[in-house]
Formats: sequence, C-alpha cells, structure tokens
Amino acid sequence: MTRVVPNGSTGTQPTPQVETITVSRFAPFRGVAFTVVNLTLFFILWELIARAGVINPLFFPRSSEVFSALYRGFEDGTILPQLTHSITNFLIGLAISAAIGIPVGLLMGASRIADLILSPYVWAMTSLPRVALIPLLILILGFGDAMQLTIIVLSAVFPIMVNCMAGVKTVDPSLLRAGRVFGTSQSETYIKIILPFTLPFVISGVNQGIARGLVGMLIGELLGGGGNGLGYLLDRAGEQFDAPMLYAVLLLLAVMSVSLIQAMRWLEERAAPWRDITRT
Amino acid sequence: MVRLGAQYTDRPAAEPPEPSQPAESSRPVEAAESALIEAVEVSAGYDNRRERTRLIALRDISLTVRQGEFLAIVGPSGCGKTTLINMIAGFVKPLSGTIKVRGVEVDGPGSDRAMVFQDYALLPWRTVERNVEFAVENRRGRIPKQDRERRIADALSLVGLAGFERSFPHELSGGMRQRVGIARALVGEPEILLMDEPFGAVDAMTREAMQAELEKIIAKTGQTVLFITHSIDEAITLGDRIVVISNRPGTIQEIIDVNLPRPRFDERNDVRRSARFGEIRAHLWDLLSGEALGAKSIPVAPPGGES
Repeated sequence: MTRVVPNGSTGTQPTPQVETITVSRFAPFRGVAFTVVNLTLFFILWELIARAGVINPLFFPRSSEVFSALYRGFEDGTILPQLTHSITNFLIGLAISAAIGIPVGLLMGASRIADLILSPYVWAMTSLPRVALIPLLILILGFGDAMQLTIIVLSAVFPIMVNCMAGVKTVDPSLLRAGRVFGTSQSETYIKIILPFTLPFVISGVNQGIARGLVGMLIGELLGGGGNGLGYLLDRAGEQFDAPMLYAVLLLLAVMSVSLIQAMRWLEERAAPWRDITRT
Repeated sequence: MVRLGAQYTDRPAAEPPEPSQPAESSRPVEAAESALIEAVEVSAGYDNRRERTRLIALRDISLTVRQGEFLAIVGPSGCGKTTLINMIAGFVKPLSGTIKVRGVEVDGPGSDRAMVFQDYALLPWRTVERNVEFAVENRRGRIPKQDRERRIADALSLVGLAGFERSFPHELSGGMRQRVGIARALVGEPEILLMDEPFGAVDAMTREAMQAELEKIIAKTGQTVLFITHSIDEAITLGDRIVVISNRPGTIQEIIDVNLPRPRFDERNDVRRSARFGEIRAHLWDLLSGEALGAKSIPVAPPGGES
C-alpha cells in the first residue's frame, strides 16, 4: 500500500525512504470497534432514558422495543416487501437519473449553445422544491410506481447534471494547453483530458443525486399515497401510534442512506486517488 | 493570467480542430541556416468583449532566434512574455505580423515545438511514464509504438527519473514533477523547447539544481530553448542571450549577449562570481527595476541579495 517516495526533491541519488514500523494487526479494525461500542452505548443510554419514563412512551419508545418491532416486522413480512419496493424504485430511479444527467451535463459543459438553451430549465428545476411537483405528478401519473419513480428521477437528475457540467467547465486550462502542445485532436482532448478530469465531479454529482433521490423517494411514498414503500410504512405507523415501528423504519432509512453514501465514497477513492492529495 | 486562462477555456468551441502541421516535410531546405524562429513586427492583444476594449500585450516585436541557442526572456509581470511564447507555440494568433519557424509560418501547435509549463500541467491520473507517453501518442504516424517505450525510458533517465515510472504526479515533489514535464517535452525530440517559467513553482535549492541539470540536458539534446523567467540570475546563468521585454504594451527593450563560458554550473569556476555576471546583473536590474516601478525616475537601491 505504501508507495516509495523519495524525500530529496533534487533526487540525483535517492536515499532509502521507507522504514518498517510495527503496527498492531488489529489497527484497521479499531475504527469499526469504536463505532460498535459507540452505537451500543447510544442504544443503552436510549433504553435507560426511556425506562426512566421522563418522556411520554407514546413517541419515545425503548430501544429494545424498536429492535423487536424491526425483528417482528421482518418476520411477519410487513417490512421486507416495502423495503424491496423502495430500494428497487430508488435504484431504478438513480440509474435513469445517471443515464440522463451524466450525458446532458457533459454536453452542457462542452457546448456553449447547449448550456445557453438548457441552463434556465436546469437551474429552475434544481432549485424548485420537489414537493411542489407532487400534486401535478399525481394529476398526471396518478398514484403508484410511475409517480414515485418520476419524483426520484426529478430529484436526482439535476444535481448529477449540474456537477457534470461544472466538471467539464473547470478543467484545468493548462491541461488543455498541454493537450494542444502535444497534438490531441478534439476527440482525444475529451477522452484523455476532459472526461478523466470530470470523473470525480460525476461521482460527487451521483452522491448528491443519492441524497436528493432519497428525499424524492420518501415524499413520493409519503404524499403519493401509493400504499407501498418505506414511506408508506412510516405513514401507517404514525397513524396507528406505532412508535416502535416508526423508529424502526427510520433506523432502516438511516442504514440505507449511510451505506449508499459510503459505497459512493469508496468508489470515489478508487476512481480518483489523486484528487484529495492534489487538493491539499 | 486571468485573461489567458479565459482564452484557453474558450478554445474548444471557438476554433476548428488544429491541422497537424507537417513542419518536418514542408520545411524549405536551408532557408536560413541560423535563424530558426523569426518574428517580424508581431503584435498581440486580448479582446475584452464586455468592455469592448482590446488590451495590447505586445507591440511590434521583431526577434530572431538562432538554431541551438538558449534564449532567456525576462520582463516584469504582465509584460507579455507568456503571450510571446504562446504565439510561437501556436496557441495565440498574432494581431499583426508573422512568426515563422524554419521559414514556415506558425499555424497552430506542431510536433517541432514542445512546452514546459510553470504549473507542470501533468495529467494527475496518469503515471509518470504514461504522462511522458502523452507527448508521443497523439500525433499519428510519427513514432512507432515499439519505439515509444525505449524513448520514454531514455527521456526519463535523461531527467533522472528512472525508477519512478509507475509513480503518480501527486507522489512526487515539485522539482520531480517538473522533471516529468521536461521529459514529456523532450521525448518527442522537438527542435524547440518553450519553457514558461518552468522553475517558478519550485523552492530555491531545487531551482538551482534544476537549472544545472537543464543545462546538462540541453547540452546533450541540442534543443533551441526559449526560457521565460522573472529571475534575473536565472536568465544570466542559463541564457546565451537575454531578451528584456518592457511593460505593457510589451516591446523588446534590449537584447543582451551573455558571453559567459559553458558549462555555467561548474564547481571550480562559478560564473556567478565573475565580473561579467555582475555587470549584466546590474544592467538588467537597472532596466527592470525601473519597469517594475513603472517609472525610471524613482531612485532604486543597488542590487542586493536575490532578484
């Protein structure tokens, strides 16, 4: 993992650079262990406060109740179909958003005309609160998957687009000059300079798309009244004063979004290892 | 600087793809055996469309660069040094006048000219060797693929980077990154090396070491070098001639023959201690300090430590 880097910048005779140090074999797991302990303590504290009974248990259940609601929900099949529905919808929506947002964003970055034509609509849609679209979408698409998917796409596609555009527009001008000096053609300039430079922007666009898409998913399910998805579970649990279930679904949503963001972060590190270091 | 940047970013949409210049083949035989680059009454400027003004960066520059010479270009910031070199590189079209390389008018970049950038301009996602390869992989039909590997290895060992082929630019120090930049410029064996303040971003110690190495490398490869700097000392230690450009609009104020023996970086005989060096230094200081302050009448302290 460690790369050999000489410390003498004049470097005519590189001296030995890397020494071996002893590190515990468990060092990489220390962070994970810390998080586990941290969360355990959090849930124990939660349990204790709830048991003390200072807060109305109607909206502050014990953490053990939340976990057992989660377990029962999976066992009796109330959660799993809704979870699958939400995740499937979300991933399809995200895929559509990427398929539309990345090419259009790149085009807007590369072509002034495309930018001039599209940017008023893109910026309007980027800044318009998504909830405002729900009544219209219900009117057009009714209740159900199509409406939910549309709101996810409308939420996720614009951040992806805007980031891709920004990536193309901020390509280091001296890299473009280097391209000209060393004879890249128009298409080579795109393939060898602009696209690799833009890749991290694409990923952070997708990252934002995930965050916004999750919101879109939930408002679609909560307000769209389609009768499915995690949003529906939340809605129903609220109506039935089923606080443990409410918390259980929220917990699931937190896990879902954190793992998606972590997956993207992992991808980002792999896709552009040079990025963080060159930025310091 | 800002204006230049804007110009380059506009570039892809504004211009048709540059024709690959057949400089090698269409060069007139022995047009002028010593004049490699000839600029005749060249002016350059940048349009500011918003304010409807045109800023003249260079006015009526006439300059002949001899084959094999090391020409240092000095001048205050913003005097148009970079514009001059960019015109020779073929990025910027002159407003008037002509620039010829071996008798052929410059029309876009060509493989006979390579450039070393102040900010290195390396592709951060490519390894050192793939960065060097960048210079020889784009213009088709020039270098057969099997030759490339050898030439990349040669170029890297010439700049002292053998063993770092697989490193990424962000893993290297500034001085080493610029070595990659130099290797990349040399690997295509251009006739002309255009260097735009190549050591401006490295620390003082590295800078001296790099100057010494550059002199050695050029002694081996024999390129004609145009070297922009704003360090007076660097111009004298490296240049055969020094072109002094005055402030906006930039004009050539003086061309100085350095006439110091080479190699300049010789432990036993440090040219920087010679009388001639001090003489040129004092003269350049007079020229440039007046320029830098914008008025010659203001008295300036005599040259002290660093320029």
